[in-house]
Amino acid sequence: MFWKKKKAATSQEEKEKKTSVPHEAVTLEAFKKITAKMDDAEIVQRQTNSGIPFSLVYIQTLIDHERFNESIVNPIIHSTNKQFVQCIATCKVIKVSSMEEAKNHLLIGCVLVQDVEKNEWWAIKLENPLSRAIENSETETIVYGPKDSFTERVEHNLYMIRRRLPLTELKTEKFQVGSLTKTQVQLLYIEGIANPDIVDIARKNISEVNFDLILESSNLSAFMDDHTNSLFPQSLQTDRPDSCAYSLGLGKLVILLGNTPFALIAPITFFHLFQSPEDYVHRWVIASFLRTLRYLSFLIAILLIPLYVALATHHYQMIPLQILYVMMESRSKLPFTPFWEALIMMVIIEIIKEASLRMPTKTSQTIGIIGGIVIGQAAVEAGFASKVLIVLVGISAIASFLVPNYLVTKATTVIQFLFLILSSFIGILGIALGLILLLAHLNGLSSLKQPFFAPVAPLHWKDWNDLFVRIPLPWIKQRPQYLQPLQKWRVKRRRGSNEQ
Amino acid sequence: MRYIKRVILPLLCCVLVLSGCSSPFVEDNTVEEVAPVTFWSLNKGENGKLEITTLVPPIMNEKKRLFTLDVDLLKQGKKEFNLKFYRELKLGQLRMLLINENLAKKEVISLINTILSDPDVSPRLYLVLVKGNFEEYLEKEKNEKKNLDYFLYRMFRHYERRNQGEMTIVNIHEFMEKVYSPYSDPVLPIFKVNEKKFTYEGTAFFKKNDYVGSVKDMEDQMFQLLANDHYLKNLPLSPLKVSLGQVRSRVHMKVDRNYKTLSIKVHVKGRIDEYRGHRNILSSSEMRKLNKDIESYLQGQSMDLVKKTQKLKAEPLEVGAHTLSPLLQPMSRKEWLNYYENMKVKVDYIVKIEPLSL
Repeated sequence: MFWKKKKAATSQEEKEKKTSVPHEAVTLEAFKKITAKMDDAEIVQRQTNSGIPFSLVYIQTLIDHERFNESIVNPIIHSTNKQFVQCIATCKVIKVSSMEEAKNHLLIGCVLVQDVEKNEWWAIKLENPLSRAIENSETETIVYGPKDSFTERVEHNLYMIRRRLPLTELKTEKFQVGSLTKTQVQLLYIEGIANPDIVDIARKNISEVNFDLILESSNLSAFMDDHTNSLFPQSLQTDRPDSCAYSLGLGKLVILLGNTPFALIAPITFFHLFQSPEDYVHRWVIASFLRTLRYLSFLIAILLIPLYVALATHHYQMIPLQILYVMMESRSKLPFTPFWEALIMMVIIEIIKEASLRMPTKTSQTIGIIGGIVIGQAAVEAGFASKVLIVLVGISAIASFLVPNYLVTKATTVIQFLFLILSSFIGILGIALGLILLLAHLNGLSSLKQPFFAPVAPLHWKDWNDLFVRIPLPWIKQRPQYLQPLQKWRVKRRRGSNEQ
Repeated sequence: MRYIKRVILPLLCCVLVLSGCSSPFVEDNTVEEVAPVTFWSLNKGENGKLEITTLVPPIMNEKKRLFTLDVDLLKQGKKEFNLKFYRELKLGQLRMLLINENLAKKEVISLINTILSDPDVSPRLYLVLVKGNFEEYLEKEKNEKKNLDYFLYRMFRHYERRNQGEMTIVNIHEFMEKVYSPYSDPVLPIFKVNEKKFTYEGTAFFKKNDYVGSVKDMEDQMFQLLANDHYLKNLPLSPLKVSLGQVRSRVHMKVDRNYKTLSIKVHVKGRIDEYRGHRNILSSSEMRKLNKDIESYLQGQSMDLVKKTQKLKAEPLEVGAHTLSPLLQPMSRKEWLNYYENMKVKVDYIVKIEPLSL
């Protein structure tokens, strides 16, 4: 079997060798050919004041015009030197030897300059730094703490992280993914803290991405995730540089992508999805309370309505008598069974949620009012849903938003539907079965081959101090054990600092 | 495996959803389709039969009806009730079992055993002994009080949770635990009922399967202090014209080696809530005299209670448990009761009145 694979791999290499063409010479004609029907491509032929001819090839929409004139055109024209390219001091100048190389440079915003006499081509990077200003994070808002968030430019994003971690140990590795998008990817880690094995896994995962369009960080995470079919994200998407810096300091890796303000943090655990940057801003008791509330909300979001259906369909004896009276009265004239009633209301809530998200802000407010008051109240008055269920659906919908990660919020909806089916089918037993399956699934997941359900399984007691509760920051003296960091201690110790 | 993934699983999901996820394996108890029974009143019927009564339906807005059946078996009653009502009557919310005194004299344990072995019935089922015609009371009150059964349940629940010593509240598990313990006999609250009133009367004593007697008023209070909650929110001693509040007792029982004497030493703490007697209780010597009076009064009442249990050969105070020792073989219940019947009783009260309450 292995032999067969090896043979197949060898034949593939041979095939590639046979099909590869020798490097095409860089010529103006070749440029004219490749820029045909590209209105924004420019090929200009000029002379310096001393009469040396030169050519410029660029795509005008990609370059910075002011700098183009100031840094390239003017210096070259006024140059008296025969080696006129040397007069360009403000930009990085790269010699181009093949047409493939020239094409790549051209498409990332370089200006190609030809010394016609010597027939030499040079690429000068002059990308238009068109970018929005640094704004507040909209996805992870906090009251106190840093307000800046990433933009679409990798360089900006890297600068924001470097400003927080002024270390030479903060290493960056460049990759390019997406055969069409040529997306720039940077893998960040702190050498000497991050485990090299994990860095290797990430490096391998990124370099093995084989797809045409990688437009967004979640596209990349889809290729990097160990378990593609899971509902839970296995890397954390964030647009906060402070979160990235904190994660890097713990020994995690950060992956920055071009053209997206969202960076990926990996490896993560299930419990990271419930942590907010504000957890480290609040006093520890309040932070712990809020974190516990988030776990509780997650459980409420996935279990409340299925529990209602299970009790109303199978286990009336478990309902306290006073609540049973209310439920029976509320449900006495409904045409639907609890399952259909809950399913219809949940679908309506999802429609309202999606509609209010996609619409402009003013319209979404109207949708909220229509959805909340008109549909809710009218459904009860028309006799399509019971008052009890409307209350539970409301609580459950709000509880689902307490989880800070938007992807988990959406996952809870799907889990809720699955639990609903199970609970309606076999009642509480179904819910118990669902919980077992969910825990088994979470336990089976991994993020960059590291256990996703750590530090609960495998058990790392020491990591529990920042798990369900967040103990005072000075007491969290060690980095998470599941990351196997090279430096275990976060504090300098008396006998030889940073002991392993 | 591929076939299962591609065809069977989606098909199963579709079938599940289209069938409304109703399971063929689990009993369907959709709340609006069933009528949960909250109580059963058991009476002695004609020709040795059982008379079962209940009130349906439990929903607030519907008119209540009293259903009565003469049956041989409890389960037969459960089935026949369903034939009389448009919804299925379910026992899952059965919270009270009211047994008539006349029936209790004949049998109790077999009835309770049947209920206890029913997996549907919850452990929070209050057992009550009723003196009088409960059905007549229900018939009259059902139109005036919409949720009479529910309010009765709330009353039992309140007194059980608060443990104030006002009344004895017993659930089915406590009762059966005592039935099957060799040195204890179960007790039940006894309520007197007529057309207008449903009143707590005292505590009924059982001797295994038989209802043998009851205590009421002061003796019942003594029972609460000695054996039940060891706490009384209020203990009025009318002959002494004094009322004690927040009374707590610590009871030490000792049986001598020859099983001839039972010594009970009771430490009581409380405060004077009300005093209408002739003593000046602000004077310490007078207060001491009042204290002595209270001690001797309580002593006398407790002696009466213990003697009553001796006479009935019943063990609600669980005195026999004090004969157990790791080095001695426990005697049989019969043997112990013979000793207990002829035992000399010595009760000693130490009452401590909280000074700050004055």
